Amino acid sequence: MSSFTLYQPRDSGLHRLHPLTKLTLTLCGVATAVVLPGFWPNYLLFALFLLPLAAWGQIVCPLLRAVWPIWWPFVLSLFLVQGLFWPGGTPIVTLGPLSFKQEGVLFATAMAGRILVLIGSFLLLSLATRPDALMNALTARGLSHKLAYIILAAIQIVPRFQAKAETITAAQQSRGLETQGNLLRRARALLPLLGPLILSSLMDVEERAIALEARGFGRRTLRTSLILLSEQPWEKGVRALLLLATAVLILARTVLALR
Amino acid sequence: MERIKKDFTTLTLVMIPVAIAINVAVGQLVILLKLPLYLDSIGTVLVGLLAGPWAGAITGTISNLVWSITGLFPQAWAWAHVAAIIGIFAGLFGRFFKRTPWLWFAGGLATGITAALLSAPVSAYIYGGVTGTGQDFIVGLFRATGASIIESTLGQGIVSDPLDKFVTFLLVFLVVLGLPRRFLLRFPRSENVT
Amino acid sequence: MNLVELHNITYSYPRTAQPALRDLSLAIPQGQFCTVVGVNGAGKSTLCYLLAGFVPHFYHGELTGTAQVAGHDVAQTPLAEMAADVGLVFANPFNQITGARFSVREEVAFGLENMGIPRAEMLARTEEMLALTGLSDLAERSPYALSGGQQQRLAIASVLVMRPRLLVLDEPTSQLDPAGTQEIFALLAKLVRRGETAVVLVSHELEWIGQHADRVVVLDDGRILADGPPRAILASEMLPIPGTRYTQAARRARAEGLAPAQGELPVTLREAVAFFRQA
Repeated sequence: MSSFTLYQPRDSGLHRLHPLTKLTLTLCGVATAVVLPGFWPNYLLFALFLLPLAAWGQIVCPLLRAVWPIWWPFVLSLFLVQGLFWPGGTPIVTLGPLSFKQEGVLFATAMAGRILVLIGSFLLLSLATRPDALMNALTARGLSHKLAYIILAAIQIVPRFQAKAETITAAQQSRGLETQGNLLRRARALLPLLGPLILSSLMDVEERAIALEARGFGRRTLRTSLILLSEQPWEKGVRALLLLATAVLILARTVLALR
Repeated sequence: MERIKKDFTTLTLVMIPVAIAINVAVGQLVILLKLPLYLDSIGTVLVGLLAGPWAGAITGTISNLVWSITGLFPQAWAWAHVAAIIGIFAGLFGRFFKRTPWLWFAGGLATGITAALLSAPVSAYIYGGVTGTGQDFIVGLFRATGASIIESTLGQGIVSDPLDKFVTFLLVFLVVLGLPRRFLLRFPRSENVT
Repeated sequence: MNLVELHNITYSYPRTAQPALRDLSLAIPQGQFCTVVGVNGAGKSTLCYLLAGFVPHFYHGELTGTAQVAGHDVAQTPLAEMAADVGLVFANPFNQITGARFSVREEVAFGLENMGIPRAEMLARTEEMLALTGLSDLAERSPYALSGGQQQRLAIASVLVMRPRLLVLDEPTSQLDPAGTQEIFALLAKLVRRGETAVVLVSHELEWIGQHADRVVVLDDGRILADGPPRAILASEMLPIPGTRYTQAARRARAEGLAPAQGELPVTLREAVAFFRQA
């Protein structure tokens, strides 16, 4: 059965980190990627920060395999949209009536680097952290158990729905519904597919709510947890340091921009 | 406060993950049918309508966070506030659903325009003006006319979003009409739809 | 004091003209294995929901009469409190998986987490329940990766682990294949033999009921039509239920003059063998 999570179990130092430490790494990576200026820094950040972390977690290949299909459409769009259509700009390569502009290509390269880090940071988290462990860490820090339920249930229900959508599509196609052809014909196929999917799933909601209540979900007592999260004594320090460094970076960037 | 508490029943809590799954599954169905729409907020609009604006907001926000955390669509977090606004608008316009449906559909257009205004700065300033989808073609057209990056992403949004949200609100309208009354009565905002 | 005391219960779902339960009174002592049979729409599910508090707290509607279950006044007790004393299992195994936990073991422990049970005790109780329901080998699997019968055993384990004083099962095998049905009834037989929990089971599996139940309650149109030991009820001629296939066969044999016209009709396989040997 397909799974909605990318989690790759490994016996590694990265995997053993407390989920909050990994979440902090990701969030700091995202913030840094957005504020880092210029052409190279984000590529360096990816090569010298994210890749070594992935190597530590024995997930370099899965990371690259996961990053690539999301990254390349961005790269393609950036180079076509910003490279070819940069208003004004100095032409460097001319293809018939169009030409790549130097400013556009530089911008596209810089942005592609940023997006690489943005995507990579989140994928590193998803590859090395079980979502339930992450939610467990967050509820232990005060996140509502109801929000945690919503997130975890969504993660588990989505693949079931994708399967359901495929079944319904196959069933309707076998009854002669056309999902090919011109735009109008394809648009007309939408409601017969969508209706059964949404109706059948909404009708289940009532029973699912009863099942949840029958397990004491509505109780206001203090909750306990079966999952036990371990934390190295130095992890708190690392998190504080990461947050501090990111804050300094953002501050420096703001000051520079204001000048 | 009281109203919010009433909106978040166990039924609402259970419906939210189902709505998120609907968002994903319908979004993929649309890609399969190669339609020039997203329709990836049908579940969010449904929750907004049946359980109020705050439940809608939570559905939208978590929808995008789940995409990011699971790595399926890691860039989605940046648009979480747009997804939240869609849920809020669906909740606010829900009161017109039964008696003045044309205002509900107008709400779809208003949601689309607001979504376009809010998402344009994200694509412009965080992702360099692109989203890595076919919609970038429209951004390119605007850029070719000499528009700035933010103008181009805004232009793209105004071209795509109102139509998409209008169709979303229309589909939700049709689906809810198909639901049995006994079932609709179970939801905290059943007064919107019965 | 009885575990369940229902007095003159009448209940209607919101905005319905006909009550689902009519002037129903029922007492179930501690540890009894009570089964409920009847045609569709007789009020069996409504009775289950009432015992677990979902009627009236989830479905609302209008309830009159008094309902005492496991020491709680049902009308006054919040669902969250009822859940600790009454476990509810229903037909669809998939809808009973909470989705909040990623492994079978954690799914079983979910109810205990909500009750705030200390971790050490939670672990012990969870392992015990996994062993009882035969799920120990599947403890690390995703609940969604189980078969229907396994999922239904998981649903039973997940409520039993909370040590309810009453376990209510509403047609727990109606959506399972024959193998899954076998699994559930084998587990139920084990539970009933342990005798620690009172069980109310709604089912159409009359042969099995005839062999294992202490008592059969026949519901019809929201009322109790008959109530007694399985033998008396299942062999009766007056009820809107056909009886077990053994009873039906014996009845047919009698009608054809192949068996003596006097004496009790068989309910179980063993009785049927004796009956036909006589004939």
